[in-house]
Amino acid sequence: MGAQKGIQRANEIYRDRSRRVLELKADGKEIIGYLCIYPVIEMITAAGMVPYRLFGDIREPKTKVEACLPTVVCPYLRSVMDIGLKERYNFLDGVVMAHSCEVAEKLAHIWKTYIDQKYAFFLDVPHTIHDAAREQFRDLINDFKLSLEKYTGSPITDEMIVDAINAHNQQRSLVKELYDLKKSDKPKISGVETVKVLMAIMSLPVEEGNELLEEVITEVKGREGGDNDDKKRLLLWGSIIDDTALFELIEDVGADVVIDDTCVGTRPFFPDVELTDDPLVGLANRYLVDIKCPRTFKEANFGEKKKDYMEDLESRFGYIKQLADDWNVDGIILHSLRYCDIHGYDIPGLKDYFESVGIRSIYIEPDYTEAALAPLRTRIEAFLETLD
Amino acid sequence: MAKEERKKVINRPKGMYPLRSRIEDVYKLTVKAMQAGKPTAWSMVNWWEGDSIIMAMGIEAVYPENYGAVCAAMGAAQSYLERSDAEGFPSHMCGYARNCIGYAAEMKDLGEIPPDAPLGGMPKPMLLMAAGTLCDTRYKWFQSLGRYLDAPVWTLEIPQPGVEEALQEGVHERNIKFMVKELKELVKFVESLVKKKMDWAKLEEIVTDILEMNRIWYETNELRKKRPCPMHSRDFWTCMTGCLYPAGDLKELIRLYQNLHDEVQKRVDENVGAVENEKYRLVFGELPPWHSLKIFDQLAERGWNFVIESWAYHPPKPLDLSGISDPLEKMARFTYQWLTGYYNDAYENKEWWGYFAYPYLEYAKEYQCDGALLHPLITCRTATNHLYLVQDRLMKKYKVPSLVVEGDIVDLKLFDPADTLRKAEAFEETMEHNRELRKKEGLEW
Repeated sequence: MGAQKGIQRANEIYRDRSRRVLELKADGKEIIGYLCIYPVIEMITAAGMVPYRLFGDIREPKTKVEACLPTVVCPYLRSVMDIGLKERYNFLDGVVMAHSCEVAEKLAHIWKTYIDQKYAFFLDVPHTIHDAAREQFRDLINDFKLSLEKYTGSPITDEMIVDAINAHNQQRSLVKELYDLKKSDKPKISGVETVKVLMAIMSLPVEEGNELLEEVITEVKGREGGDNDDKKRLLLWGSIIDDTALFELIEDVGADVVIDDTCVGTRPFFPDVELTDDPLVGLANRYLVDIKCPRTFKEANFGEKKKDYMEDLESRFGYIKQLADDWNVDGIILHSLRYCDIHGYDIPGLKDYFESVGIRSIYIEPDYTEAALAPLRTRIEAFLETLD
Repeated sequence: MAKEERKKVINRPKGMYPLRSRIEDVYKLTVKAMQAGKPTAWSMVNWWEGDSIIMAMGIEAVYPENYGAVCAAMGAAQSYLERSDAEGFPSHMCGYARNCIGYAAEMKDLGEIPPDAPLGGMPKPMLLMAAGTLCDTRYKWFQSLGRYLDAPVWTLEIPQPGVEEALQEGVHERNIKFMVKELKELVKFVESLVKKKMDWAKLEEIVTDILEMNRIWYETNELRKKRPCPMHSRDFWTCMTGCLYPAGDLKELIRLYQNLHDEVQKRVDENVGAVENEKYRLVFGELPPWHSLKIFDQLAERGWNFVIESWAYHPPKPLDLSGISDPLEKMARFTYQWLTGYYNDAYENKEWWGYFAYPYLEYAKEYQCDGALLHPLITCRTATNHLYLVQDRLMKKYKVPSLVVEGDIVDLKLFDPADTLRKAEAFEETMEHNRELRKKEGLEW
């Protein structure tokens, strides 16, 4: 990657995500693709391999996937499968997919049927955070560990796992530091730049990602700050957005995403792994309990006998209001890809909640194509007008 | 006259009718229970592990998934769907869920069961028993009902390992232990909810009845392997509700299933088919268009007999539970067998989707199917995800072609019966052609 530093390097990696891992592969490193945010990437790092996040491509027509995945399922996952069928993920030595949602769980089996890779593992994930579910998830992570050990022929010790946890926690701290730079009235880094940096570090070994983040943070801190403090400050909530197009559209109409709760943004980075005597316990808690994805069933009071609707909403969505307060946002965009059930069911509740706390929100439901974004421009412009 | 003839095209077993009328009885029973101040629940299909517990605790349950099918079949779903859309829920979501959400919203407005609700409606529940198995909707839907109901939600857990992962050392027994722990928590929760202790003897009896009911129902469906097939999918769908949504008097249900079994056995013995001139034997996947079931009569007129259907609604493969004394463990093992009962065979065949998809391969072979009618549902990911894979594997492995017809379980606007019939006519040539190919390849049928 030569002498490129910071944002420029992140841009390069964003544009050509596989370039660096192909270099690493040529040097003998194994590359393991992972889907969504539930595969425990610390374990891949601990096994001495490179975790590489699988993304789709909103600009790529889906031409191969029609044969094995119908149109009524998540268009992002269809895109990932399409790219896989087009052999663009053939550089991967293996994949790890998880029960992050129903379709992702099924995609794991379809992928394994149609795409021949040396290693494939499916990590089941319980739906609740009951004590038994946490114990179960700890054991499932151990299954993953055993499977990697069998594949590599080398043991993964607790020390190796702790080292990996520390490295990934460091990355999470750096990402939070990056987001902190967006709290000021004149954010020093835009939503577009942020998503590029995050997608770049998910395409690198953790140590290289950390170096890149440090470079980016140093560079951004040295900036003057944004040039337009009239821009509306938005929070973007929702399902996966693995492209800058929506952020560009938002910036183009006079707003900026200063904070998000999406699965390429803060969601995979904000919670740390607590170091526990058995490191798998800390990993299980972090991934099952601390990650705030609507795929996991949570409630205000475990075992409650009557549901208090507003209390339920507060317990499930209160953290989003906290983000909105901390980043001083003017409004919220609720984003759910078409056919995404886990996000879709939460929409009326989210709207109720934000209405109750006095934050305006708008719901958009693109279909993971670039063309679908254009009609959103008018809606988002109209929404911004309501924020005056 | 023509209408009467059409009704007779599918030879429906007499034993089906009392099972069908039970569906209505269950709704009435639950409304009565609510009026008498007894606890009631809305429950997702949970493949018996949760049903047995709430039944033993005296909670009367109705199943909103089934109610979605009922509303669709009785033409009442459209207004509930529209209400759900108006409430802000995306319109591409599960038809059953949208039906229920619309229903719950109306019930909240009125403060009582909507007066025009089919079969007397579903009473206000004190518990919503969700399940994470197979489908995200089945817990997200109940979670979203918090907008309209103050009932707590309990989400049941059933592990869903991959085929290879399930066979890792110790995984099977660990998953059973997890399920048992979860069921014990459910017992504690329900005890606190209804303020009484579990009657373990009663639970044991209920579990025994559920196992027996499933045994008979499983064996009844095994009889359908016979040529001509003695029972059509329409009768399966009608009769599956007693087993899939257990409620009311289980001993009476067992008696009804036994009667049905005996009648189907008699048909086998006497060589009587569900379709008089069985020309084509088909597997149906997944859920049928409940609002347009007459299409099966029209297909039967062409000699199409539907001899087997979707795995998810069938009892598990037989499992010896005689050595297990704890009723919770029995139920856990039985439910887990339902999910993973095909995994060993799938593994041996290097097929990686052990439930939903792989069973179709066994069905096609064992039931000697000429074709598959696959029904991708525009509002149901769960019943649709695997269908193209199934189409591909059936063709590659057994030269069994599929006719794919898009539609919906609840929304009748999304299904075109006339177009389906046109396609069916052309599909017969495909089935004939592949029949020849199977012969050339030395396949048994």
